[in-house]
Amino acid sequence: MNYLSLAKIIIEISLLWVVYYGILLFARGTRGVYVLRGIIVIALVFIITRQLGLERINWLLTKIFALSILAVLIIFQQEIRRGLANIGQRRWIRFFLKESEIIKEITSACSLLSKRKIGALIAIEREARLENYIESGIEIDTKVNAELLMTIFMPNTPLHDGGIVVSGERLAAAGCLFPLTQNPKVSPTLGTRHRAALGLSEETDAIVVVVSEETGGVSVAIGGRLTHDLDKESLERTLSDLYRPDKKNGK
Amino acid sequence: MNNWLLNNFWIKVTSLILAVITWFYVNEELIREKEMAKQLYKSSFMTQTYNPIHDKNP
Repeated sequence: MNYLSLAKIIIEISLLWVVYYGILLFARGTRGVYVLRGIIVIALVFIITRQLGLERINWLLTKIFALSILAVLIIFQQEIRRGLANIGQRRWIRFFLKESEIIKEITSACSLLSKRKIGALIAIEREARLENYIESGIEIDTKVNAELLMTIFMPNTPLHDGGIVVSGERLAAAGCLFPLTQNPKVSPTLGTRHRAALGLSEETDAIVVVVSEETGGVSVAIGGRLTHDLDKESLERTLSDLYRPDKKNGK
Repeated sequence: MNNWLLNNFWIKVTSLILAVITWFYVNEELIREKEMAKQLYKSSFMTQTYNPIHDKNP
């Protein structure tokens, strides 16, 4: 085998890798992940039965596999459409986003809301899409701004009760409904807002900031874990570390 | 660099495994198809050069 054919193999496997990685990332945190798991299992069993020469099982799996692909296309047509529309938009422009400005706006809004003891729930999208949750609220699609965030969470306003979703550099939606955590170990004293923050962080990789209306304490939920009582500086530092992991250690 | 590698580590590993399996599977299928095409070509060539009916009844 010469270097050229080896390079071709590496390029082909790398391309497949990127495609699979994109699909898995896209499916993560959505209902599609279960279907995707099923398809991967069927595909693996299909390959194994083919290698073992189990022709009848293989024939059966071929039919099931073909049907499942069709079913996925029909069931997830909206997600697929969105995913295709996002190609060429999000990933490439991420490098040019002004994350630090967004974090500053969120931090200062949280700090002011905390002082006034106004409850708030802010989800910051990372790799996993939050479209399902954006759809549950009122679409806003505007620049992230501290004053706007404060206005949204003002009591007795239509959108103050739900959460907001920050997607990329945009404030995507407000009044969104997040899933409540089902973890039995969670303290019973935690309110609905904190439970929603934990629930969303368990299902996706989003960073969820909560301001308690009882204590005014600011917490951050990530990966099903809640960090309580953050001051302005530590919130800014935490968000910077979590939102752009490569910035860690001053890199 | 370390963070880049560790971020979504298991998704990266899973997608790499799937990519390698897919590559080997498709590669094998391509080889099989080529061999089948060769055999088909050979058999069609044989039927063209050898006609048993014609040979039996000249």
